[in-house]
Amino acid sequence: MESVLDTSGLGKRYKKNWALRDCTLSLPSGRVAALVGPNGAGKTTLLHLVIGLLRPDAGGVRVFGESPHDNTKLLPRIGFVAQDTPLYRDFTPSELVTMGSKLNRGNWDSDVARNRLAQLGIPPDRAVRKLSGGQRAQVALALALAKRPDLLLLDEPVASLDPLARREFLQALMGSVADTGTTVLLSSHLLGDLERVCDYMIVLNSGRVRLTGDVDDLRANYRQLVGPRHDGAPIPGVTEIVRQSHTDRQSTLLVKTDGPITDPAWTTHDVTLEDLILAHLVETEIRGTHTAWGVPA
Amino acid sequence: MIEFVLDGRSKVSTYMQLVQQVKQALRVGMLEPGEQLPRMRDVAQSLAINPNTVLKAYRELEIEGLVEGRPGVGTFVLRSLAGDSLSHQAELRTDLVDWLRRAQEAGLTSEDIVALVDTTLRATLPQEKPSNQTRVSG
Amino acid sequence: MIWLTWRQHRQQALFTLIGLAVLAALIVPIGLAMRHSSTALGIPHCVKLMGDGAYLSSDFPDKCNNAISQFTNQYNIVNMVGVLLLFVPMLIGLFWGAPLVSREIDEGTHRLVWTQGVSRGRWALVKFGLVGAFTLVLSIAYGLGVSWTMTPLSQVGISRFAYLSFDMQGIVPIGYTLFAVAVGVLAGTIWHKALPAMGATIAVFIATRVTSALYARPHYMSPKVLTRPVLGPGAAELNPAHGDFRVHEAVRDAAGKIVQDNAQVGCPPTVTKCGGVGKGAYNWMQYQPGGRFWAFQSIETGIFIAIALLLIALAIRRVRRIS
Repeated sequence: MESVLDTSGLGKRYKKNWALRDCTLSLPSGRVAALVGPNGAGKTTLLHLVIGLLRPDAGGVRVFGESPHDNTKLLPRIGFVAQDTPLYRDFTPSELVTMGSKLNRGNWDSDVARNRLAQLGIPPDRAVRKLSGGQRAQVALALALAKRPDLLLLDEPVASLDPLARREFLQALMGSVADTGTTVLLSSHLLGDLERVCDYMIVLNSGRVRLTGDVDDLRANYRQLVGPRHDGAPIPGVTEIVRQSHTDRQSTLLVKTDGPITDPAWTTHDVTLEDLILAHLVETEIRGTHTAWGVPA
Repeated sequence: MIEFVLDGRSKVSTYMQLVQQVKQALRVGMLEPGEQLPRMRDVAQSLAINPNTVLKAYRELEIEGLVEGRPGVGTFVLRSLAGDSLSHQAELRTDLVDWLRRAQEAGLTSEDIVALVDTTLRATLPQEKPSNQTRVSG
Repeated sequence: MIWLTWRQHRQQALFTLIGLAVLAALIVPIGLAMRHSSTALGIPHCVKLMGDGAYLSSDFPDKCNNAISQFTNQYNIVNMVGVLLLFVPMLIGLFWGAPLVSREIDEGTHRLVWTQGVSRGRWALVKFGLVGAFTLVLSIAYGLGVSWTMTPLSQVGISRFAYLSFDMQGIVPIGYTLFAVAVGVLAGTIWHKALPAMGATIAVFIATRVTSALYARPHYMSPKVLTRPVLGPGAAELNPAHGDFRVHEAVRDAAGKIVQDNAQVGCPPTVTKCGGVGKGAYNWMQYQPGGRFWAFQSIETGIFIAIALLLIALAIRRVRRIS
């Protein structure tokens, strides 16, 4: 299957800090992929590298086989909505659609935007700064979809929206994906909406990729085991222990499996995506800042 | 036409919920052979779920012989479920009631029973996998 | 891209044109009043006499001297207020140049407009080009307008070649404006916020203008030299009607060394010592003839436009590489 996005060893540095490092992933076509991680994990950096707003400091990124930086051949194929949906505040939605048509020769179809916005009841002649956050997000999405892109990149598109606006946004997005089969990569630090919408997952933390894969495979291959205190012996069916916690008598393990867990000592539970993601986000111990606060350690 | 409802808190996966709801509708006669299921695209949009999930659910139903997809037209019901496996279920049910009584007499509590069933089920029956992994491609 | 630039800046363009109209509404009546007054005082006739060299001789009618005095006293204030006009190119640079790129980045809309189907180079070229064209037309109108207004004054002795006068009329405002805009645009690509870019624009603009006016301008062409003996008619004088530009004056001794800088002395022929300088000393003056005014204007404008183009090229390069 064609891979829409390929990165290898991708890295980006700001002064001395690597915002993204050793990022190697491959996004298959037709997926709705979630890019999850806490704030500062490198999600925006990755998306900006993919859309060509940033140039890599290490490694490479290829979209449809080409490097995206300032690439006018690729730009019409990629729809992008940046964080906080930047739009020209004093333009009206209608003027923004005109702008899109002037700047995008090729696959641009103004009617896609107009139909969407008409259906959502968004007034065409009111300045964007007078629209609500949800309406702005829909305008930005409509502009991106009017390009009829093969790849859609959304940076925290629903983070600042109220629940109703969030739902409407995701509905519009899913409708569009159903119609066109566009590959979508959307970043979020809110996990709730993602399980129903996404079928591929990329987990980032501190600039590194922690986990990638098909959501179905991930759910099938990871389990939570509860049983008597575990001493570290290998468990048949377990390939990796992702996270473990112990009391004096009991252990709880989040594991990756390659077969059924037959040992009756262990009770298995399914793992929600949220638990799986959180388990991969847990950092090595936080170092206390007691001296800075002036409290005893 | 039926309308789908999702329970976000359920442990059951989304596509399974769709399958179950279709089957339930078939059982109680809400859906009859020849009727059309909601269009995949509309389900994806109204529930805000991945279109592939709907595709998987409809494929599963198709494999079980309950529905038939006609390209460009829609997905239509082939047969109903009313009374289908009820006879089998009646037998199994009686056996189960007997076994449960015996387990209770042996001193097992409900939680013991559930744990026993769970581990034995896993060890005895093959792992259930989703029947179809292919993707829709537009 | 043209549509987008127009739509983004149309309000700003309107305000700028209104500003220009207000400026015109102030300047034009003054210019007309000056011409009226000048004719009423009979100055055109005096100017003709000055041109014949009569000014420097005692034949020059007192009536003319009085008229000229009266006229210059009346309208000297225009020249002083005109100094404020020196800031117009800088203001254009501040409000058209500095925010052009910096505001786009500051407000995040670069993430919208640079991810459509237009390359950054094209975006920059069209934006900078159109804004440049607009400010060019503005500065032409403004420069020539001020020239027209100042003509009566420059004819009678406020030399248009003198500092400040030279800078506010003719075609040099074109060069200064394009330069200011270019500095602003480049500053905007370095500091991605409007305020620091504006600050940098002010600093660079003033520094460049002052240094070029004081150190470069006197030497665009080799200055001419005028000498007069200390004893006798006195200071070397330039005919104001010619509008010459005094570059440097001094008193030199017989050997040529400067004995008094930035001064001229004159004594009757009968004395032996004059003003502390010895025998054989002479007044020395370096100047640029008024006839070279337009040549100098062209040279200075050309230099500033060339620098502006270079800065714009750098700005385009920076825009394409912003990461």
